[in-house]
Amino acid sequence: MQTVAHGDVHTQDTHHGDHGHHDHHEQSWLEKYVFSTDHKIVAKQFLITGMMWAIVGALLSVLFRIQLAWPDETFPFLETFLGKWAEGGKISNEFYNALITMHGTILIFFVLTGGLSGTFANLLIPYQIGSRDMASGFINMLSYWFFFIASMVMFSSFFIQTGPAAGGWTAYPPLNGLRDTAISKGSGLGFDLWALAMVLFIISSLLGGLNYISTTLNLRTKGMTMFKLPLTVWSFMLTAVIGLLAFPALLAGVALLEFDRLLGTSFYLNDIIINGNLLDYKGGSPILYQHLFWFLGHPEVYIIILPAMGIVSEVISVHSRKPIFGYRAMVMSLSTIVVISFLVWAHHMFVSGMNPNLGAVFMLFSLLIAVPSSIKTFNWLGTIWRGSLRLNSPMMFAIGFVSMFITGGVTGIILGSAAIDIQLHDTYFVIAHFHLVMGVAAFFGMFAGVYHWFPRFYGRYMNETLGMIHFWITLIGGYAIFFPMHFMNDIPRRYYSFANFETFNRFEDMMVFITVSAIIVFLAQLLFVVNFFYSIFKGRKVEGEVCNPWGSTTLEWTAPVERLHGNWPGELPTVYRWPYDYSVNGRDFIPQNEPLKPGEVEHQ
Amino acid sequence: MDYTLSDKDVLKERMEYTGVHPQKFLLWLAMASMTMFFGALTSALIVKKADIQTWENFRLPTVFIYSTIAVVAVSVLMHFSLIQYRKAKFGLFRVLFSIAFVMAILFLGLQYLGWKQLEAIGMTLDGNISGSFIYLITSLHGLHIVIGLLITLIFLANAIRSRKDPIYELSNIANPKRVFNLEMLVTFWHYIDAVWVYLYVFLYFNYQ
Ligand code: HEM
Ligand SMILES: [Cu+2]
Repeated sequence: MQTVAHGDVHTQDTHHGDHGHHDHHEQSWLEKYVFSTDHKIVAKQFLITGMMWAIVGALLSVLFRIQLAWPDETFPFLETFLGKWAEGGKISNEFYNALITMHGTILIFFVLTGGLSGTFANLLIPYQIGSRDMASGFINMLSYWFFFIASMVMFSSFFIQTGPAAGGWTAYPPLNGLRDTAISKGSGLGFDLWALAMVLFIISSLLGGLNYISTTLNLRTKGMTMFKLPLTVWSFMLTAVIGLLAFPALLAGVALLEFDRLLGTSFYLNDIIINGNLLDYKGGSPILYQHLFWFLGHPEVYIIILPAMGIVSEVISVHSRKPIFGYRAMVMSLSTIVVISFLVWAHHMFVSGMNPNLGAVFMLFSLLIAVPSSIKTFNWLGTIWRGSLRLNSPMMFAIGFVSMFITGGVTGIILGSAAIDIQLHDTYFVIAHFHLVMGVAAFFGMFAGVYHWFPRFYGRYMNETLGMIHFWITLIGGYAIFFPMHFMNDIPRRYYSFANFETFNRFEDMMVFITVSAIIVFLAQLLFVVNFFYSIFKGRKVEGEVCNPWGSTTLEWTAPVERLHGNWPGELPTVYRWPYDYSVNGRDFIPQNEPLKPGEVEHQ
Repeated sequence: MDYTLSDKDVLKERMEYTGVHPQKFLLWLAMASMTMFFGALTSALIVKKADIQTWENFRLPTVFIYSTIAVVAVSVLMHFSLIQYRKAKFGLFRVLFSIAFVMAILFLGLQYLGWKQLEAIGMTLDGNISGSFIYLITSLHGLHIVIGLLITLIFLANAIRSRKDPIYELSNIANPKRVFNLEMLVTFWHYIDAVWVYLYVFLYFNYQ
């Protein structure tokens, strides 16, 4: 097959042939930077788009936090910026719902899924496996541009008459199943745009995922067996596997929803009475949607956390100057998580009236998934233990990740018990759980990755001082925002105002404290943005012919500093050893492409 | 200076290790994903059907057996057209390929007739869910067929162009990339046709 497909230019196998004499075919500026098929450019595109979305998504949360902290006050500047959505300087209840919905959707899907996987899987998979590029550069490019169009569609919904979707990031029917702006403004065009953007986003994720898997399995360089892959690559590939199998369920769920909304079917709707009128929908069940949604929804949280885990494993090992503790256990627990993550979805539905016996099964698996997660945590700690730590910004963020993941993970076990969850469901306790374990933790993983691989992107370092300030404010601020929410474990989430509920008003001061923390953390993120763009032009340059700023073993650091389409100017590196040879044989590190010494035993 | 390889070169490096073409592998993965999609739809049907209070039963319209035959014909024709292409018998290829294209359109037409038959027995799109599911499943499957048709149209245009232009036609023999692309397309057709056969059997047993 291969000669048939590729016989057009070269007939012989040039796997280790000389690449120096290939035609230096000129690319136009558009080909090179806009519709590029080069994985490194695509990665940058995802990164920059993801950063823009992160700022937007975080800003939305600042807005609704203002409402929560000072429900009685007015802020004229809000009206200046938001117009009719904040008449008299107070965010309207309709817009509050839109804010939380878009905040969740943007951060979960556009930042922590698209932005995170898109950036690092694209940058690192080809580099670390020793490949010139992805299996299909064209599909890779499409993946980004679908992401971009999805972004534009989602963003456009802010500017329409009835405003963006406002029914929560989970988009439950019946609320979202009726196209009726009298119920909620966001149920109008805003929701259709949400659905369209999600469909485009899912296509983008799938196209990307196809490439990540196929590239990892088929394009590894000579000697790069599966168990010589860095944990980053394992995590990106397995993330893509989850996405490939889980996203179609959401696609189906959204398709049924739009059938109900636009074509009058009743898949999710049944006997709805509005203003005394019985609507003509019969026989549907909103629970069906919940199943389809959470069949993706739970795996989705692992789609977010797995790449962060991979990045953290790599960063912790490099900056502890120690081999990763329990490499195979890490791979096994990643794989176990992939399997179990498909068997727990209904723990989000304990209060939906499901059969308690079925609930027990889901509870069992939910608690089981804590096992591989803890194995990973112990292995990170084991790697740090007695290492020669370099406490620079990537490392600090990686350690911060572990801290957040533990704190948030513990409450997962509490929520996983059906009997307790029935009390805690839809309260601020759940908010605390998933923001610590997923939201903040995944951001920490992403920051660790950006600080660590910034030299690979731009040949320069990011500023350390700014990085450290960024870290400490984000760490302390992150806890300050979410830790108090554990104590608000009877306060319902997604409420615009607690004014009419005497019992829910005891936390007024806490609400203010949280909001102030959130504003500070938000401002600290701008510090990161400034650092990022400043360092692109003015950062300290990486010295040396190859770009290896941290003394790493992996292949991405054996390539030259400049951007080359094809990554290595000469032949591809050959791999002889596993990726974690740090502080062995009296050496600080041994690159993967260095042959074993006579008599040296390969790491098993 | 940027060292720049063309995309073709970038891919060239590999394959003797796994023997799998990475882009073919992409297609298989995509098929796994599409299978999950149709799996989700049919599971939804099973879940709803279990709710006997609201499920109105009826017999599957007979047109769908003819559309199933049409879709199988598409697959068979595509298969033989590929064989002819590999043998560089472009005349025969063009004939088979064009008939396959027409058959796929015919399939869509028959699905539409199926909807008309449903309406005739009172199962409208916005009526009982048992009927709605058939519209849902056939239209989402039909969407895949439409995408297949659009891509096929590009190949068809090429084939017709090469009929008028013998030099272009000769370059087909010299260009294995074209064979490869055609193989990918035909694989997609086999897959999406097989999905319909599955859906037909599934629906047949659920609408007795
Ligand atoms: C020990 C493992 C874990 C268990 C047993 C667990 C359990 C749960 C349960 C039962 C809920 C539902 C709470 C409710 O709505 O009443 C929940 C919510 C959630 N969990 Fe976890 N969790 C675990 C780990 C994780 C991880 C690792 C992540 C992300 C990386 C995560 C992300 C989420 C999210 C996003 C939600 C809220 C979704 C929403 O309602 O908006 N969880 N978790
Ligand atoms: Cu979950």
